[in-house]
Amino acid sequence: MKEKRRGPIGRAAGLAEGMANTVRRMQRDREPRVILYDSTGYARLLQPDARGYESVIAVSERMVRLVEEAES
Amino acid sequence: MPGTLTPERTAARLCELSGDARAAILLDAGGSLAGSSELESERARGLGELARELFAAVDRASRPDGVDPPEQVEAQVEGGAVYASRTPQWILAVVARRTALSSLMLMDLRSVLAELETGVPIRTSTSAVANGDSLPISPMPNLDPEEA
Repeated sequence: MKEKRRGPIGRAAGLAEGMANTVRRMQRDREPRVILYDSTGYARLLQPDARGYESVIAVSERMVRLVEEAES
Repeated sequence: MPGTLTPERTAARLCELSGDARAAILLDAGGSLAGSSELESERARGLGELARELFAAVDRASRPDGVDPPEQVEAQVEGGAVYASRTPQWILAVVARRTALSSLMLMDLRSVLAELETGVPIRTSTSAVANGDSLPISPMPNLDPEEA
């Protein structure tokens, strides 16, 4: 189906929507996350409210900090 | 066998393979530090201790019934990312840049561990460099009727 032609306001709104999506995606990429993989490579996202999530994040942060100290 | 990867060299080998790897350590089955990248020994021991804690936390994490314990873990945190992989014999963990591609980093971890365990080196290659005079003729046909 042919896309409906949009006026200047519609185009501006489309641009703003695209930028908002990009910002949301960048924020999501910066959020802490834990992914666990089984032996077949199947990935499972550990939810923030799941048991163990906080521990994995805390240990990982300490590992990154330790390397940052070594680099500085 | 010459060129065989040793446990002492394994972490450094991972950092050579991946430009996004900042530091890596290898632990043996007993949890002892078997090798590290260019970290001073105290920091390497500290990183090794944390890698052990990481898998302990992973094993305590909730998982659906019937699902095996995870073999690899990826944690994205502020300032970087941690990837770790384990086999019955080894744990290899790396702190990487946040921009690292997860799939590549996890594949590098598996590949280096496989090289350590099997002795079969990872096949790497470099792009060919040709000077301007010896560039091959493009195989693409010229479709511009004006130039024909």
